[in-house]
Amino acid sequence: MEGPSSTWPQASSERSSATTPLAADGAPPAAPPPDVPPRRRWPWIVAVVLLLATAGSAAGVAWDQRETAEQWRERAEALAAQRDDALGRGEALQVQLEDVAELLAASELDVSELESRIRELADEKAQAEDTATTVQVERDVLADVSSQVASAVEALDACVTRLFDLQEASVAAFNRAAAGDPVDVEPLNRQAEATTTFCNEARSAAAAAASAADRIPG
Amino acid sequence: MSGARGIRRPAPALVRRVRHLVAALLLTALVGACVEPPPPLEEPDDVEAIEDLDLPELAAESLLRRAQEVTVRIRTLGCRQFGVGSGFVLPGGIVVTNRHVVDEPREVTVNTWDGRTIDAVVSGLAVDSDLAILQLSDDAGLPEAELRTTPIEPGERIVAVGYPGGGPSTVSSGTVLGLVDGELFGEPADVLQIDADIRQGSSGGPVLDMDGRVIGVVFALDASTGLGFAVPVTTLLERLDASQLASPAGC
Repeated sequence: MEGPSSTWPQASSERSSATTPLAADGAPPAAPPPDVPPRRRWPWIVAVVLLLATAGSAAGVAWDQRETAEQWRERAEALAAQRDDALGRGEALQVQLEDVAELLAASELDVSELESRIRELADEKAQAEDTATTVQVERDVLADVSSQVASAVEALDACVTRLFDLQEASVAAFNRAAAGDPVDVEPLNRQAEATTTFCNEARSAAAAAASAADRIPG
Repeated sequence: MSGARGIRRPAPALVRRVRHLVAALLLTALVGACVEPPPPLEEPDDVEAIEDLDLPELAAESLLRRAQEVTVRIRTLGCRQFGVGSGFVLPGGIVVTNRHVVDEPREVTVNTWDGRTIDAVVSGLAVDSDLAILQLSDDAGLPEAELRTTPIEPGERIVAVGYPGGGPSTVSSGTVLGLVDGELFGEPADVLQIDADIRQGSSGGPVLDMDGRVIGVVFALDASTGLGFAVPVTTLLERLDASQLASPAGC
């Protein structure tokens, strides 16, 4: 960049050698004031001021940007630290998660085995209750048959007793008749009829008991 | 050079103005291109609770487990015979089973999955469907089934739970094959045809969808094809109305 200070003096010198006549003694005559426009200083001042202002602004901006760059660098370092921290915690949590998953799987297996065992025991209990219920039903049936048999035996025993009584009364009547005593056979006939009726009922009871006993499954 | 080419050089004043203008523009651009300082740094979210890690659930296990827990074994002592069947628990100590499981009941006992034995009474028999409702004497702590109210589509995956043969509980999976005319079985509405493994003793057991909701009650088996049939839950919901139930007959 060429400034005005290097061109104006040359132009002024050329102009003076081309137009100024020499004096008689060889000495140059007194030179009239050159036809040079008055030197203006204010452009220089403005330029310098602008340059200084520009330099100052640039310096300010540079300083501000330096601060900003420093903040961004700190931010980058903070984010990197956060990232490292997050990665570290992520790895720690992953380890914990794997431990928990392993424990969960083991627990789940234990629970499944225990539940399976509970179901087995519950099934055994239910089967036992089924058996108990069946046995209870069979016991009720046997008790009923036993009661019927006992009643039939008791009735048959009473029948036998009555038959013995009838036999005894009949023998006594025969003995009295053989001795020539009068014998009233009417009471004997009533006793025989009552005994027959009673023994028939006893036999029916015995038959019913036998039928009930036959219905008991083998 | 300028004389040879005849190009006029701009006046120095103009050059200066242009330079000043360029300098001003550069200064403006410099200021305008300045980088803003970083915004305040936000604290990262912290993961404190293990729940935030979104641990996977053992959904399949839970479904099967839940299905077995709500299913009960029913032992009945009828007027002429002893029998066993299956059922499931609803809120209020209600147990749903088949009518043919508890017909003419003298004594009804419910066995839970964990070995509890609870007395029950037949509170109602469906008049026109193979459904019966029992009332438990004690329902404390019993898992309860949830009934599904949305329509059932053929092809849906299901599980059927029961106590076949009066033995341990079993869970069999399958699909809903479709709806069959209920009149063939004396049912008031279409019944579900399923291909899950159904056997004697599974009667009254629940058919559940993959969300664990009851969609039907097993009641019949086609021995020739091995396919099972279930009363749809819509029929059950209608029969749960007391007016639709009859009292059991005595011996």
